[in-house]
Amino acid sequence: MPVTLKYPFVKITAPPEYRGIPQIDPTLCIGCAACVNACPPDAILRIDDYDRGTRKIVLDIGRCIRCARCEEVCPTRAIKLTNFFEAASPDRRDHVEVVELRLVKCKGCGRYADFTGRQVQKALKIVPKEIIEKEALDDKVYLCRDCKRKETVDFTIEASKEVVP
Amino acid sequence: MSAKPKLKSIWVFHLNTGSCNGCDIEIIDVLTPYYDIERLGVKLVGSPRHAHAMLISGPLTRQAYYGAKMAIKAMPPEPRIMVAIGTCVCSGGIFYNGYPIYRRPESGREGNEYPRLGGIIELLKDLRDEGVKVGPVIYIPGCPPRPEEIIYGIAQLAGLVEKRLSYQEYSDEFVKFRLPEGPVEERIVLTLREKLRHVVGYLDRDAILEEFMKLVEKAEKSENPREELRKLINEYSSKQRDMRIVFCMRLLESEYWRIKDAISAGKEFVYWI
Repeated sequence: MPVTLKYPFVKITAPPEYRGIPQIDPTLCIGCAACVNACPPDAILRIDDYDRGTRKIVLDIGRCIRCARCEEVCPTRAIKLTNFFEAASPDRRDHVEVVELRLVKCKGCGRYADFTGRQVQKALKIVPKEIIEKEALDDKVYLCRDCKRKETVDFTIEASKEVVP
Repeated sequence: MSAKPKLKSIWVFHLNTGSCNGCDIEIIDVLTPYYDIERLGVKLVGSPRHAHAMLISGPLTRQAYYGAKMAIKAMPPEPRIMVAIGTCVCSGGIFYNGYPIYRRPESGREGNEYPRLGGIIELLKDLRDEGVKVGPVIYIPGCPPRPEEIIYGIAQLAGLVEKRLSYQEYSDEFVKFRLPEGPVEERIVLTLREKLRHVVGYLDRDAILEEFMKLVEKAEKSENPREELRKLINEYSSKQRDMRIVFCMRLLESEYWRIKDAISAGKEFVYWI
């Protein structure tokens, strides 16, 4: 009885728990870059462009060692290891996947902040509704870090004037 | 691959440039009767002078650099195919910024370029600078790649199959954002998910959590959710054969009520590592 696998001429699927190549679902990715921090071989990159106001999350399968740490830390289940394994290619560019997201434009100074609009939406979903009023939150959330700090200091000075005239 | 090489049978030479031997074991696996790459005409030869293709593994250490260069120069000038097997050869892999790894001076170790540099790419650039002709290169990522992956790469060289991956770019303007809506508050779900990661790991946790959320949704509709959830989980456990999943369900139940009690008492509930 022949034992040889007839592989390239027949289709083969890896078992579902096989760690194949990872893929980012662009409809779920919020661009928080948790996977970038977790990735041991730097296969995932975060490239911020503050002039154009975009953030790129770049995944290179040719650098990935399939350790699944990105899947472990992803808060929205966007990045996942598939059981797809036929990744051989003569061009290294084929191994790259890019997800480009818009950064938030600060309402105070007009420059781009270092977080994306999707991150804000996700954070607003986690924050319990009864703690903060929605109107006050909408004003503050779309500010960059510098403007937020400035506003806090101004508010503290104003408040202290009432106590110490 | 610019032009398809008209090769009926490829003779290969196996070159290790400092790999951990994982990929070498898979290459030997490919030559065994079960995978039997010889039916595609591939034969392992003992000298680079006889070889059409070079099966390379390893992240290209400084010591292996000179030997690898000599071996590639010793191959016959046509077709001189490079088969890069493993993540390390494709781009340096986990060893990408190690001190013994050869990198060209202009391609730094901490750059933001993509596709990522490293591995055999550095050697091929050096060879092209010297005017040495190198034929088609095929990159097979994987750590290590399965034997099927290697067969798939070599079958591409022989013209039997086409490549299946391509460069993909998505933009925020064209792809709509989707936030999955659940019956339970997001902060509770994330806390339970983090707890479950420590118990079962990344692979099974989402499936278990989804099952649990279905039961919670059913239980919250009734008048006495605590009793109802206990009843539903008992029912689920009697059907479930895997004791690990039963344990996770019981753990999730106690965690869920702990969080609910903490929220109603106004206390902190986040599970800190």
